[in-house]
Amino acid sequence: MEENSQKDKYVEIWEDNVNIKDLLMAMSLCIGFALGGYLLAFGDTPPLIFGLAGAVIGFIISSILIKPKRKLSMLKEGEE
Amino acid sequence: MDAVIIIQMILASIGGAVLYTLIGIAPGTDETAVLAPVTIALALIGLSPYVILAFFISAIVAKKLSDSIPVAVAGIPGGVMAAPMVEHAMVLKQYGLPDVSIRKMASGSVIGTIVSIPVSFLIAYMILPVADTLAAYSGLIFTLGAVFLALLTRNKVLSLVMILPFAILIMGLRHLYWGLGIVPEGTDVFVSFFLGITIGPIAFTLFELLNKRVRQNMPRVGDKKIVMKKSKKEKGFPNPFKILTGQESLTSAIGSLLGSVTFFLTPVGMTVFWGEAITRHIKDPVQRASRAISTMDGLTNASYLSGTLIPLIAIGLPLSPMAIGPAAGLFNAPPVFTPENNIHHLLSMGEIMTATIIGASIALILTFFVTIKFSTQICAVVFKYIPHEALIGLFAGLVVMLAFMDAGVLNIFGTILVALVAGLLYRNGVNYGVMFMVLYAAPWLLGWF
Repeated sequence: MEENSQKDKYVEIWEDNVNIKDLLMAMSLCIGFALGGYLLAFGDTPPLIFGLAGAVIGFIISSILIKPKRKLSMLKEGEE
Repeated sequence: MDAVIIIQMILASIGGAVLYTLIGIAPGTDETAVLAPVTIALALIGLSPYVILAFFISAIVAKKLSDSIPVAVAGIPGGVMAAPMVEHAMVLKQYGLPDVSIRKMASGSVIGTIVSIPVSFLIAYMILPVADTLAAYSGLIFTLGAVFLALLTRNKVLSLVMILPFAILIMGLRHLYWGLGIVPEGTDVFVSFFLGITIGPIAFTLFELLNKRVRQNMPRVGDKKIVMKKSKKEKGFPNPFKILTGQESLTSAIGSLLGSVTFFLTPVGMTVFWGEAITRHIKDPVQRASRAISTMDGLTNASYLSGTLIPLIAIGLPLSPMAIGPAAGLFNAPPVFTPENNIHHLLSMGEIMTATIIGASIALILTFFVTIKFSTQICAVVFKYIPHEALIGLFAGLVVMLAFMDAGVLNIFGTILVALVAGLLYRNGVNYGVMFMVLYAAPWLLGWF
């Protein structure tokens, strides 16, 4: 915010910074896998389980594909 | 209750504690949004009610313990409830004592849990004689609850005015689904509307992004800068009563007691009110801050547990902001749980107590230990590897799937409609509590016309 350079391309949603394109990708992945799992359910297992598993798979894939927009810096003890 | 169920309860509690320790740390995660969908899903899968209750209690205790970690380490609240503590944690951080605030907060949480469980059972026991009368007037009580909560919001007039229109929106959609034959008449679509309200604010923001002008005018930011501080190593198993001074333990306990008694009021409001009232007289800033955070953390924990337990034990209807929000799945997850047949009806008081104690103890032992020992490391892992986009995606996925499950494709759009209206209202100062109350009050309220 203080240095308004070209680097600043994220927006703040739900109290953290996100890239809109990445967000769209994560949402499509999670919604796709969750609904897909629910619709493709087979056997005696309730479809909801497939849906939940799908949502988790979507979450894991997006966590691998997307880099968090946070910059961590560690201070040693006593530093300020 | 046999050994198999007890083992399942223990496993579910461990799962809940691990999962919600991590989720608790992720910034900005709202309690209702992260707890309710998972609890509802577990209920719908058909897990035993004992296991669901143990899971839920463990999850909420773990989340309450861990959402104070990022407050202390980075000054970012890990959840809505941790927000009032940021100011005091920052004082301790300024004096170079972030590890002190983690330990004090976590210990306050432990005291809050230990105090509130027996107190909740006691209060529930006292309410029990009038519980049937209360339950018989539930429609009226929810309506009065909506009015009462409306009077506590930032925007009282709008909150009052929107009660009827919002009830019309909900009943309108239900009647439409009945009319189209999507769901059998008399079956109330509940879960997806509930989740629609929960994700309202974020859904509203997302849909705003579709507007090019809004998108271009949104403030652009770079990476979120988080400065963390390595904390000292702790030896042996930490003892909360040694971490807190006698006075801090005492005020945490008093705060927790007050938080439990006011279970029917909003937890955030009570935390700020009691937390400030109890610590206002202390002059020394460091002492005041550490007293405040231990008290507030105890208080939030206590108001959460009592807000869940008292209505669950005594009444079986979600008559507290906590029960109507994060804990909603324990009261209403149709067709498995309904207001006439939920954990209150299925479990005896002793069984509820057993599940609560199993869940709470496991979460306390696991999360407290981990919080004190490894807070910095866990924070670093969550901040480094869990993208915020994936979290939002996960909850969007859950909501869309549950909406589809409730009433098909049309309901995905119905839920979007509820979410947009809820988001607009939230943006203008109507809080969740009012909307949740209206969701419950709607059938009775519109029955008058």
